Amino acid sequence: MISSINPSIKAIAVLIPGILLSFTFDVFTPLSYFVFILIVTFTIGGISILKWLKIFSPFVFVALSFGWMAILYTNQSFSNGEVIVTLWSLEITSGSMLTGISLALRSLCFVALSLLFALTTDSTKFMLSLMQQCKVPPVITYGILAGYRFLPLFQQELQILRQAHHIRGVGRTKGLKGKLNQFRRYAIPLLANGIRKAERVAIAMESKGFTGDTDRTHYHQMTIEKKDWIFFSFIVGIFFLIVALSYSLGYLNIFGKQF
Amino acid sequence: MTKQWKLKEIVLMSILGVVFGIIYLAFFLVGQGIQYALVPFGLAPFGYEIIFGIWFIVSIIAAYILRKPGVAFTAEVIAGITEVLLGTTAGPGLILSAAVQGAGAELAFAMTKWKDYRLRVLIFSGMSAALISFAWHLFYAGNIALTPWLIVATLVVRVISGALLAGVLGKWISDQLAKTGVLRGYALGKELQKRRETGAA
Repeated sequence: MISSINPSIKAIAVLIPGILLSFTFDVFTPLSYFVFILIVTFTIGGISILKWLKIFSPFVFVALSFGWMAILYTNQSFSNGEVIVTLWSLEITSGSMLTGISLALRSLCFVALSLLFALTTDSTKFMLSLMQQCKVPPVITYGILAGYRFLPLFQQELQILRQAHHIRGVGRTKGLKGKLNQFRRYAIPLLANGIRKAERVAIAMESKGFTGDTDRTHYHQMTIEKKDWIFFSFIVGIFFLIVALSYSLGYLNIFGKQF
Repeated sequence: MTKQWKLKEIVLMSILGVVFGIIYLAFFLVGQGIQYALVPFGLAPFGYEIIFGIWFIVSIIAAYILRKPGVAFTAEVIAGITEVLLGTTAGPGLILSAAVQGAGAELAFAMTKWKDYRLRVLIFSGMSAALISFAWHLFYAGNIALTPWLIVATLVVRVISGALLAGVLGKWISDQLAKTGVLRGYALGKELQKRRETGAA
């Protein structure tokens, strides 16, 4: 199960193919890697298809619009090949078509990779692992966790502000200046309260003996085990395998250069 | 670097990072909306660029309030981590993008040796963040495959957006916050206090 993999290792495993995919401009490589991620997500990922689709489906439109944009505005070194369609004065060549499809598939890969990470990772464990494995200073990780904890409070506070405005008869305002004023009436008190809370939390942490020393013990010990490395080499290894395959089939295209 | 920071400054940075992490996430939707609205005019590529400056704002606010080296960079990275914790679809790669933007914003403050926090430096910081992040997106998002005129035009829009939405708006929000008095314990609040005293004397 992917949820038991060390979060830092998981993050790096998802990151590396993501960055390397940025070099490829052919259709085959991102497409086959996308299929691979889908298989991983629904087999060992243990993510329910319905839940995944709910989050993923809007991004199909985003990817399509990005791909369409890339098709319309491809630069010369990518837009080689024959003209397939002419739209008004725009000529769409096979090269720009392929580049557009590739970029759309690439962004779908990014989304699928991130969902694989986000849906199987507990945020507290991720922070603990960042602190214990990636050596992020405890002051920062605990600071973030404290701030993260405030999220529901902000919601509550917004409601209080709204009610307070309501009871005093401050209604909706019209016009740009009114809108700006309204934005200020909500944003500044919210932020100001957040800052006050930050100060109090910091004092509370220090008074309870939190020094931010890196030499400390942990209640939840995060470890890297063999299965974490197996997962890592699996996700990254398959990527290189796909690149090799696409090279041997003559599809591989890096920054517009065909190999 | 973290040695120079007090715990309350780090927690403040985190709170700002968390708050703006949510705002950043919300602005993905805004960007998408603008993009769809611009499609009929053939200006869809500018949808995100117009509001791109908002994604640098926490760097400018945090640096302007705390005035210490590394603050602009760290605040932006924290905002990125928050977005990942909240489950952004941009994934852990977003932390990298945030680091690049934060480094861009930090660059401007580094050039003044972290001494000068006038409006022009804040604007310059928003612009340098725009510039550096643009170079990163050329590579990461594959924008390099677009036509040269479009690349230049989007760059200009992003730099202007960085100057206004990050630099000017960031300073305005911080100044408004300082007026409420909650920043009395931080560099910006102290400066305001000093100015008031000399003004009264």
